[in-house]
Amino acid sequence: MLLMIRSIIRPEKADAVLAALMDAGFPAVTKYSVAGRGKQRGIKIGEVTYDELPKVMLMSVINAADKDFFIDTVMKTARSKGKGAFGDGKIFISDVSESWTISSGVNETAAATEEVTA
Amino acid sequence: MKEVIAVVRINMMNQTKQALTDCGVDAFFAHEAHGRGKGFVNPKVLKGVQQGYEEAAALLGEKGKLYPKRMITAVVEDSKVGCVVETIINTNRTGKPGDGKVFVVPMADAVRVRTGETGVKSIS
Repeated sequence: MLLMIRSIIRPEKADAVLAALMDAGFPAVTKYSVAGRGKQRGIKIGEVTYDELPKVMLMSVINAADKDFFIDTVMKTARSKGKGAFGDGKIFISDVSESWTISSGVNETAAATEEVTA
Repeated sequence: MKEVIAVVRINMMNQTKQALTDCGVDAFFAHEAHGRGKGFVNPKVLKGVQQGYEEAAALLGEKGKLYPKRMITAVVEDSKVGCVVETIINTNRTGKPGDGKVFVVPMADAVRVRTGETGVKSIS
């Protein structure tokens, strides 16, 4: 079974997380910029409230067996100063029903399912 | 209802848009994205890294470069998923690494903001 992991992280942490994922053996990632706010309703500096903060979204699709390891890697790297702060981001996980590689036309969902059951 | 997420080469966007229209999917949205895939990495080396061998990690080297891509997201009804996936693959396939990926993700519901319609009605 395949899972899609979407992690929203601080832009300045993106390079570190990408490098950590590469070292952990997850090279395939898609990155895009997003803007958003969290539970704290943005950030207030003096009189000005910023309610759209720039973040980076990393999307990758992995085998369900690697889920905990993947999340652990992202979490450890993306946390600021090692103990965490508001604005460090979120990780969302959803099911993937099919996954196709365009260059070879291969459906990887079938292969991943076999791997788990075997 | 399914969400089809495709990551494709940026120079293929026009052909892909045309092909999607031809197969009856007019509505979609696109992101600018940067991505990397498995590339030319040897799968055996990759497996070694996942098992925690440091020699294997060193072999991976400077493969972390992100390439500019376009990400297309379309929400389509179940019966159209096969056609959409096939169209995207046929249009974007050059056979070389870097052609991209297609993911199909279940979508719980959709609402059309203008009328408040939900479900399949809102996307047809």
